[in-house]
Amino acid sequence: MNKVYLGFIALLLVACDNNKQPSEQAFLDSLDNAKVQTPPVSKEVLGDIIQSIPSPLEISSLIKNSGVKYDKNVLNSTNNLSNYNTNYKRALNLGIYGTDLGYANIYSQNQDALHYLDAVRTTADGLSIGQFFDFNTIRSLATNSNNLDSLLLITTTNFEKINKHLQEQERSNLSILILTGGWLEALHLTCAVENKYPSQTFKERIGEQKVILDQLLLLLSFYNQDANIQSLIADLTDLQKQFEKVEVTYTYQESTMKEVDGVLMVVDNSTKKINMTPEDLKSIQAAASAIRNKIIS
Amino acid sequence: MSEEILKALTQLFAIITKQDGGVTEVERKYVIQFFRQELDQDSVKEYVELYDQFAGYGNEDKGEAKLTSVKDSVKTLAICKKINKTLTQKQKVVVLIRLLELVSSDKNFTPQRMSIIDTVSTVFNIAKEDFQIIEKFVLHENTNTLTDFEDILLADSKSAVHPGQAKHLLLDHLHGQIVFLRVKSVDLYFVRYNGDEELQLNGLLLKPYQVYLFSNGSTIKTPKSSPIYYSDVVSFFLSNLKTKNLSFTVKSLEFKFPNGAIGLRDVHISEGPGKLIGIMGGSGAGKTTLLNVLAGIENPSKGEILINGINVHTQKDEVQGVFGYVAQDDLLIEELSVYENLYYNAKLCFAHLTEEELHKAVINVLASLGLEHIKDLKVGNVLNKKISGGQRKRLNIALELIREPAVMFVDEPTSGLSSRDSENVIDLLKELSLKGKLIFVVIHQPSSDIFKMFDKLFLLDTGGYPIYYGNPVESVIYFKKATNQVDSDKGQCHTCGNVNPEQIFNIIEAKVVDEYGQFTNKRKVTPPQWNERYLQNFKLEEVTLVKENPPKALNLPSRFKQTVIFTVRDFLSKISNVQYMLINLLQAPVLAAILALVIRYKNDPDSSGYIYRYNDNIPAYILVAILVALFMGLTVSAEEIIRDKKIQKRESFLNLSRTSYLSSKLIILFVLSAIQTLSFVLIGNWILEVKGMTLSYWMVLFTMSCFANILGLNISASFNSVVTVYITIPLILIPQIVLSGVMFSFDKLNDMISTKGKVPIIADFIASRWGFEALAIEQYKNNPYQVSYYDLEKIQSKAYFKYTYLIPELSERLERSKFHAKDKTDSIQTILAKDLKVIREEINAEVNKRGLSIDVNSALTTHGFDERAADKVSFYLETLKQSYIKQFNDADYKKERLIEHKSANPEYNLTAYKNLYYNESLADFMKNTSTKNRIIEYEGKLIQQIDPVYTDPTNIAGKLDYRAHFLAPTKHMGGMYMSTFAFNLMVVWILTGLLYVTLYFEAFKGALSILGRIKFDFATTYLTQVKNKIMSTWQEIKIKKSRVATN
Repeated sequence: MNKVYLGFIALLLVACDNNKQPSEQAFLDSLDNAKVQTPPVSKEVLGDIIQSIPSPLEISSLIKNSGVKYDKNVLNSTNNLSNYNTNYKRALNLGIYGTDLGYANIYSQNQDALHYLDAVRTTADGLSIGQFFDFNTIRSLATNSNNLDSLLLITTTNFEKINKHLQEQERSNLSILILTGGWLEALHLTCAVENKYPSQTFKERIGEQKVILDQLLLLLSFYNQDANIQSLIADLTDLQKQFEKVEVTYTYQESTMKEVDGVLMVVDNSTKKINMTPEDLKSIQAAASAIRNKIIS
Repeated sequence: MSEEILKALTQLFAIITKQDGGVTEVERKYVIQFFRQELDQDSVKEYVELYDQFAGYGNEDKGEAKLTSVKDSVKTLAICKKINKTLTQKQKVVVLIRLLELVSSDKNFTPQRMSIIDTVSTVFNIAKEDFQIIEKFVLHENTNTLTDFEDILLADSKSAVHPGQAKHLLLDHLHGQIVFLRVKSVDLYFVRYNGDEELQLNGLLLKPYQVYLFSNGSTIKTPKSSPIYYSDVVSFFLSNLKTKNLSFTVKSLEFKFPNGAIGLRDVHISEGPGKLIGIMGGSGAGKTTLLNVLAGIENPSKGEILINGINVHTQKDEVQGVFGYVAQDDLLIEELSVYENLYYNAKLCFAHLTEEELHKAVINVLASLGLEHIKDLKVGNVLNKKISGGQRKRLNIALELIREPAVMFVDEPTSGLSSRDSENVIDLLKELSLKGKLIFVVIHQPSSDIFKMFDKLFLLDTGGYPIYYGNPVESVIYFKKATNQVDSDKGQCHTCGNVNPEQIFNIIEAKVVDEYGQFTNKRKVTPPQWNERYLQNFKLEEVTLVKENPPKALNLPSRFKQTVIFTVRDFLSKISNVQYMLINLLQAPVLAAILALVIRYKNDPDSSGYIYRYNDNIPAYILVAILVALFMGLTVSAEEIIRDKKIQKRESFLNLSRTSYLSSKLIILFVLSAIQTLSFVLIGNWILEVKGMTLSYWMVLFTMSCFANILGLNISASFNSVVTVYITIPLILIPQIVLSGVMFSFDKLNDMISTKGKVPIIADFIASRWGFEALAIEQYKNNPYQVSYYDLEKIQSKAYFKYTYLIPELSERLERSKFHAKDKTDSIQTILAKDLKVIREEINAEVNKRGLSIDVNSALTTHGFDERAADKVSFYLETLKQSYIKQFNDADYKKERLIEHKSANPEYNLTAYKNLYYNESLADFMKNTSTKNRIIEYEGKLIQQIDPVYTDPTNIAGKLDYRAHFLAPTKHMGGMYMSTFAFNLMVVWILTGLLYVTLYFEAFKGALSILGRIKFDFATTYLTQVKNKIMSTWQEIKIKKSRVATN
């Protein structure tokens, strides 16, 4: 009997060895000597630039306010989640899903919003920033689903927290990727809406993105050691070329003060003029979707 | 005797008597007398007329005599042939003797008469030697001619021994001589008395010079000397066969039941070899108990049983194999054939025989029991009968018979058998006893013939009182006399020779009649009174003590060989049960198919197909697989031992190895479990597309099944009915579900059993928890996708937890403490002390102490704590946090590079790999992502709640502390860490080993019986009290009611 048991234990020991290939271990060992790259820019500089980029949620509310109907098909399907298994993809798509979540939320599409919330949570978990989507947050999101304002507040503050956290953690590259993803999705949404309901407002909005793209490319350039980011930069530079045909002219006028509900507010009276041919718009749209498709697939 | 035969006989008589001078008056008288013996008054007349007609009585024409003799010869031949067809050899011998007697009645031995008789004997196929001696015995009144024959027994008062081979029995005060003849070929005994005393044969007058059949159980009583019993006579002739020297002595035996009741009182028995002893008694008198004690199965409370001077109970080793025991129960293996039953039994008893010898021995025994023609039939059971009850019984006896033990104990061999089968069985036993075996038979309501076959009868009365020990037929007389009944000196019926054993019990248990003529419950003579009478009347004649060792009939094979034999036997019996095999072999794949098909659903994000990764049912599948393995293992084994209980009792009687028996069970069950679990895993994993884990799944499920097998055997060995066993199964399986850790989180159990952050101790005895944990971790950690990243993710997870949850928590407490330190109230100080203790312990547990500039053990106490210390600790925590962030980032960097590196290989597609091998639902479970609190405080410690699968056990108390949180990837043991998979399987095997030990010693049964006894007494007394109370209140109510009514 003893022999049987001994034999079995031996079998156990043989069977439960790691099926990890030795070449992987060797590769990992070789990485030990390599330095983890830290961005050459200071946290403060990065933070300032990031702050200056407007939130993608603005676009969503703009779309809704212009009376355009909700269209699920323009969003990134949550079915694509299974494809996001690297930090690079996760970060970009976290941005994309964040924008989609805002969009669905603003239109009170609760079911879709929940899907996107789950997608956001999953990708965030994958990036080890799941603490921002912990049980309590999700519960408050679920119970407040009819309260748009609080939803918006929670999600935006969450994204702000995430950015801050990632910067602290010296993982700003992810922060920038999230931002890029969010921005790209917003651009994509605007283009898609503009395609169906052409309007000057949307056109202008699209044209405005030229400036923001420049800023994003500047941010990304800090991390160009990463092969993935390199290719993203290449793609975005392509998009930038399309934007170059767009002319933005500012007409400056003095700002005025106005009293609203007993509070003085500054009203910006400057105007922007955006000159963009339909062809330009088409090529921007095409380039943007190409990049987006690459990212979401 | 049929009319036809009687007619034939009449003709024979007539033919013989009319030869040479015709019928004489003496002859005719003899014939008439013969008819009177056989027939009623009316028929006698008819047959006498017939005889007269054939014999030509009264027809004085002698001239035709010569002519008829040729005719007569032909007639004789024809008649004899007719008789040949219907009468047995024994009957034919009787006929021959009658013919000879007829001739001798007037001493007219003419050659013609003799030649006719000679012809008859030839046609009857009676051996020449037998005919010679029969002729001499019947015709020669002078016994001197007989002394040369060994088949003759002479009984007289002459002490001088006759010359020659004849046996001699000394009977004091006997006038004349009694001559016994044995006709060897048919085993019949005849007696003739040459003298003038009034002897009685079975209560009837033995006429001098007449030949009587001395049948089974007959007794001859002489006026002055002791009676001659059939068995005595037989033993004379069999004395040559006595090869076994044996003395079996029972001295003042007393037996007490576990509850204290006395089962047997003062039993004395003394016997030699070659006896068939019947044990009788009313139901519950203790017959089987006596048999069990005699056989050494139960220990007496007083007295001893000696065989050849060896104590049966204290020197068991020395009497091993001497006894044979045939229990009342069937000891056959239903699924095996008659031959196989006997063959494997023989194989277990005779290590020294070759296959061929074994085969021969088995065939011989089967042939001698008349079972050869059914040797290939399956035994079957009572419901599904393949062989008859009598054949079963004979086969049961054959199991013992093949060993040829010197002493045999047979419990109720005739119960439930037809009278013919009963007689066959007892015949068989009688034959054995005649071969020199000592056989004790418990018997119930024997027929007259069976009753008379016993050499001795031992009667027990209720309460285990011995009340008779002696000749069976005499017993009737003894009890008749004791109650002064009419005709008390006749034991058997005058005319038919039947004995009615029922009579004895009617007398023993006769009830007192009350004044209305109704029987009361009171017995006329109580058992102690019968016993008293017994003690006065019976003096035990002790047989001379034999000193040599009793012959052994057992040569056990080695344990290993026994195991092999048991295994083969069990295997054959299992495989022959097609239904059983089919169900057992198909059960697993069918269950797997049902389970897997039910929980496989279109879960692709596009809802177009199935992807393993998104099957939410995988954790449940693992649990169910484990439960199925347990259930299958349990049900397949739960009946194993209980089914063999009787057979096992017998095998322990033979002193066969229990280890071998259990090992054989284990071998068969383990093989079956291996096949079952393998088929389950193959089918289930194939349908659910669980890939690359077959061996791990199988190992875990097999381990579970084996554990359940032994558990099942334990249950099977502990309870005494199949129903109880099956009722017990839920009792065992439900805790396996409840405490598996899957259905109910271990952290959310009753405080009595739960320890937060550790698996509760009670769950350590639950196999499913070990199995699930092993399999879930193995599946999560070592699948082809995860295996490359697990280690890195583990580092990340640890660091992530520390900098996101633990360090902020500590910082918070530190801040709070800074604030609390200023307040000196007791309640605040308690909180402070607690907080400081938590911080202190966490820092102490930390390996990385860089940046720590104070001694936390002194600084982080209510006395030593101050602002300065707080700042220093705070600084340390910040440093620690940074170091963890760095650790995290390093691992993250490595992981990203590793993915890049692997993706460079075109065969490696990260997403495809993940879809194939990684399960989201399982991952959520293993990471406990749904938990509300990521960190909790429990007994002054901070306990991590998330990512259990990435967390090594913490808070280890000592070298032997194996405890860990649920789903820990490694386990601690003896200062080492080993993988949970190996550790858990080892634990289950250790549990299995322990269960084997309890199985071997039947620990559960012992515990149960102790428990049962205590409870039973308590409960019954309690219940009777309650009952009495209810009854008395009821009475009161009744009285009150009646009063109310009368009022």
